[in-house]
Amino acid sequence: SGGTGALAQWVLVELQGEVEPRQSGALAGSLLGDLHYTCEGVPVLIVGHHILYGKVVQLEKPFAVLVKQGGAPQASPTEPHGHYTVTALIKTKLLFKTRPKPIITHVPKKV
Amino acid sequence: AAMRSRAEVDATLQTAKLNPAELLPVVHCLSFGPQAGSGECCLLQLEPGLCAELEAGRSLVIRGEKDEHAVLCSKDKTYDMKIADTSNMLLFVPACKTPEELNADLAPCNIIHSQIAGFSKNYWELRRCRPKLKKLRKLLMEDPYEGPDSQKDQPSTFSKYTTEDLLSLIQASEEEILHQLQVIDACKIEGYWRILDFDYEMKLLNHVIQLIDSESWPLSKVPLCACLEELGSLEPREMIEHILLSYGRKYVDDGEVFFEMLEDKICRAVAQMLLQNAVKFNLSEFEEVWQQSVPEGMTTRLDQLQGLALVDKSSRPETIFLLKVEDLPEDNQERFNSLFGIRQKWTEVDITPYIQDLCAEKQTVGALLTKYARCSMLNGVKVYNSRRPIS
Repeated sequence: SGGTGALAQWVLVELQGEVEPRQSGALAGSLLGDLHYTCEGVPVLIVGHHILYGKVVQLEKPFAVLVKQGGAPQASPTEPHGHYTVTALIKTKLLFKTRPKPIITHVPKKV
Repeated sequence: AAMRSRAEVDATLQTAKLNPAELLPVVHCLSFGPQAGSGECCLLQLEPGLCAELEAGRSLVIRGEKDEHAVLCSKDKTYDMKIADTSNMLLFVPACKTPEELNADLAPCNIIHSQIAGFSKNYWELRRCRPKLKKLRKLLMEDPYEGPDSQKDQPSTFSKYTTEDLLSLIQASEEEILHQLQVIDACKIEGYWRILDFDYEMKLLNHVIQLIDSESWPLSKVPLCACLEELGSLEPREMIEHILLSYGRKYVDDGEVFFEMLEDKICRAVAQMLLQNAVKFNLSEFEEVWQQSVPEGMTTRLDQLQGLALVDKSSRPETIFLLKVEDLPEDNQERFNSLFGIRQKWTEVDITPYIQDLCAEKQTVGALLTKYARCSMLNGVKVYNSRRPIS
């Protein structure tokens, strides 16, 4: 159902590939990276040893973020039955499609 | 883990050889929130209009039993739901500003810690579809109302359905359900939606027709009050009013309520009453009896029977039989299979009343025929038959 009061506006970040935690262990709490914008408004994402350049896209078809109610099994698209609440709307996405530029870190010389 | 500091962010920028002067002063440090991997959140792509509905505070509902494909319903529309896979990873981030928002910020900071709420490789896609209303009639036909004198109408083992019951069982929006209830002339009796048993319905209609005749009222001006007074001793007043509402157009004249009786609908009901008693009828005999059976002043026409009866012009003599579109399957392919099982070749004129209701928004009968049938010529007339062999 829709919310009482204004719906939150979230942002979608679209990345290529998989999201994996650096340390094997829970994803929760771990850092993804730093998101900057250039003065021209181009989003720049530093993830690990990569720099990703992207663009801000206004979505033609916005998304609603649904949260399954009642601690039921996972809200996957194959099992849509159940009660959901619309938590937020997404009208903007940051699309990172360019191949990441690796960051070459300076390797200190052995003394 | 401790939150990143601005100093750490700047160090990373330096390592990455990015010039801070070319960047906006604010950085978002993205991390995964506590529930990010739980899969509790998912994405639904919105069709035009749905976003505005949600922002206006209205609800969307997902409906469907375990054995049905789920549909999404707004207040007045129904949508099929389908999974769309992307090859990319979609992260949903609550506290994330766009460059415009940052530039408009009156009290800028230089670091924002944003927690990713969830992520997904797929989302639900919507496609507007016809509401699945056949089940509505099926549910109400479980226990048609046969009148107050009927033995059946005691606390029965059959289910009776309130509006809320129907909303949870039917894969359609509320408006579509309420509209369909009106179309099928359902009525609320003691809080439950009921459909009238056809024989009882005809009994009620007959009372009204006889009264119109004996009072010599014009068919276009039948007074509600007098009907209720004269017939109130025979049938419940609510039923008398219901039959007038079903078979007449209500209007007010000089403060009094009247009904203009609907010729086409009454002729159609009389035809159904006649046709349901046999497999088929001799057409000319039927037409004669039919005209004699309708109220004085009404004229019968075969086109009143579209979607109710079919004429077989190939038999000698020509015959007519009952074929109700509402008894046919709801699924497109199944409907066409069923129709081609009844008759191998159809003209467009004959088949149209039996496929009209399948048309999606902006779809034509022609488009349906192109998709589900094969066209050929028979004695100079264009006919349609099945694309596949009928077993």
